[in-house]
Amino acid sequence: MGQSRKRVALVIGSGGIKCAAAIGMWRVLQAENIPIDSIVGCSGGSLYAALIAKNIGWQELETLSRSLWTNDIMQGYTENLKASKDGSLRYNERSGLVNDAVMNRNLQQIYGELSFSDLTIPLTIVATDLLLGEKVLLSEGSVFDAIRASLAIPIIFPPWEVNGRLLIDGAVSDPLPIDVAIQNGADIIIAMGFTMSYRQRLRSMTAVQEQVNSIYMNNLLSSTYAFFNLAHHAEIFPIVPEFDEPLTMFDTQKIPQIAESGMQATQEQLPHIRRLLASSQ
Amino acid sequence: MEISDRQINGITVIALAGSIDALTAPAIAESINGIISRGEINLVADFHGIDYTSSAGLRVLLGAVKETRSRGGDLRLAAVQLDVMKVLKLSGFTNILKLYDDVDSALASFS
Amino acid sequence: MALVNENTRLALVIGSGSVKCAAALGLMKVLERENIGVNLVVGCSGGALYAASIALGWPVETSIDKTLSLWTRRVTEKRSRKAVLQIILPGLFHFDENFGLIDDSRLNRQLYGAFGEASFADTHIPLHIAATDFFDGEQVVLSSGLIWEAIRASLSIPYVFPPYRVAGRALIDGYQSDPLPVGIAIKEGIDIILAMGFESPYQERITSLMRYNFQISSVTSNNLLKTNFAFHNLAHHSEIIPILPEFTQRIHLFDTEKIPYIIDEGEKAAEQALPYLKRLLGATGVSG
Repeated sequence: MGQSRKRVALVIGSGGIKCAAAIGMWRVLQAENIPIDSIVGCSGGSLYAALIAKNIGWQELETLSRSLWTNDIMQGYTENLKASKDGSLRYNERSGLVNDAVMNRNLQQIYGELSFSDLTIPLTIVATDLLLGEKVLLSEGSVFDAIRASLAIPIIFPPWEVNGRLLIDGAVSDPLPIDVAIQNGADIIIAMGFTMSYRQRLRSMTAVQEQVNSIYMNNLLSSTYAFFNLAHHAEIFPIVPEFDEPLTMFDTQKIPQIAESGMQATQEQLPHIRRLLASSQ
Repeated sequence: MEISDRQINGITVIALAGSIDALTAPAIAESINGIISRGEINLVADFHGIDYTSSAGLRVLLGAVKETRSRGGDLRLAAVQLDVMKVLKLSGFTNILKLYDDVDSALASFS
Repeated sequence: MALVNENTRLALVIGSGSVKCAAALGLMKVLERENIGVNLVVGCSGGALYAASIALGWPVETSIDKTLSLWTRRVTEKRSRKAVLQIILPGLFHFDENFGLIDDSRLNRQLYGAFGEASFADTHIPLHIAATDFFDGEQVVLSSGLIWEAIRASLSIPYVFPPYRVAGRALIDGYQSDPLPVGIAIKEGIDIILAMGFESPYQERITSLMRYNFQISSVTSNNLLKTNFAFHNLAHHSEIIPILPEFTQRIHLFDTEKIPYIIDEGEKAAEQALPYLKRLLGATGVSG
């Protein structure tokens, strides 16, 4: 049955600094003139989802990435962690180990007064309700608020209140929210997701915490992906860049290589995407 | 399991009553497939009379959703009862399907 | 082709939920009364305890007695002295993957006391217990060897208890990979799956870092539970019937005195699902 051009959605999932791979992906998609009808971002992915929704060029994406992950973004972490261990830290649902002044300043500089309605391509950002545990979709109002909420890594950054709800990292409910694209009526979904690497050796409490977190995230990612695969009527193209070494949010100097991985992973899927776009079924 | 359908403004409203489960799934699938093959791809399933849905039932539903969507249409649910809603939530269906409080809003959503 | 025939196989899957998993005993009461046979029992975390007792054919009273004596606050009371040192000076005290805040000797003793030398081969109904590999995050299915050890592995809450080694793998709590391991039953070719799962409770108020941690842990495991369940629902060829007891009172980790109430709620939830189950099993009088 004939229908107009297939609707393409882009989903960029959680992955910390690895989300910079989206720079490489966008470079390829722009070069190929692949039209994007909607974008979904989660956690680190929301940073790029919002900028891509403004339809800016890939080089500018790279420049802006560097201005976000500054060295002082984790201020307060060490002191507060120590205080938490010796029992002197007061903590409630609005707390975070890091003082978010730097993070907020960096985000404001990039997203400023941007609102969802200013964007060229419709955007949805995913966060999680801290108290109810549910996924929360943000597609109106201030883009800064949405991204700040979606980036609120539990325990590390304070939650962010939006419309009376206390929100945290979207990845905690869904690291790669393809269902949002399905619900919005996308035929072709290009989904960039990231797996977390496991440690071979566990030499500290932090290492154990990270390992446990990675186990949970990876299992959630694969089961949500598997579910969406079965549930979607059309095609999902997974773009999962590979990295040789573990990366932390301080590896900003590695952004060019990360972007390169993203470019390669996208180029791998490109022939299949082009073929499907060209076909009439 | 009772199934009936009627057309309103070019949209087919399928009214179902009883239980959608492994036993009734084949008949429901046949009925809906028949409707879709007639070219009717914008469907509203009126769930007001459904008191139970099982995993086999959900798969039939999903099959219809996928079939209509791949043809450029959709299957949307209306008036889902509380118990059935719990199952839909647990099965992730509320994330991938459109649901409405009543048939009128479901119909309006197609325009 | 008929969904159900004399070859139809039915499984009971009991997900993680600590003492709430006793509700499975209520479900078994109903199944036994109706002469509905079970071909496979699968358990994860707290569910492993009850899955094992059901698979071993223990009467309900025995299961209750054994759980009451086994599962008390005492199993988490004794801190591991080594662990306390390891947190402060990880290098010096050789912090490694065997870290656990609580000394598990008490837990091990209690589990052995309840299950002794009983092995998977001794069960009346085939039993599978789910754990998670600490290094590759994959689900690990335990179906041979000593039952108490498999339960110990499945109960290995990270940070709290040290991981448990089985066949050279460091294992942690099954719920990290799948809180309601319906997939294990699907892989065994089971047709009808009765899935009893529990959501982790959310905090009433978050007043400390520890409570915040528990909240995050509940949010994450509940999302994983739902997502896995959703996937298996779609992927399975036959039928998954969720049996979800509702508890009007909060049930805390060691509230063993609430077990009779929990069993009642399990029975009620089973009664709700029974009419459909019986229709499904139908006139062929399938009893496993």
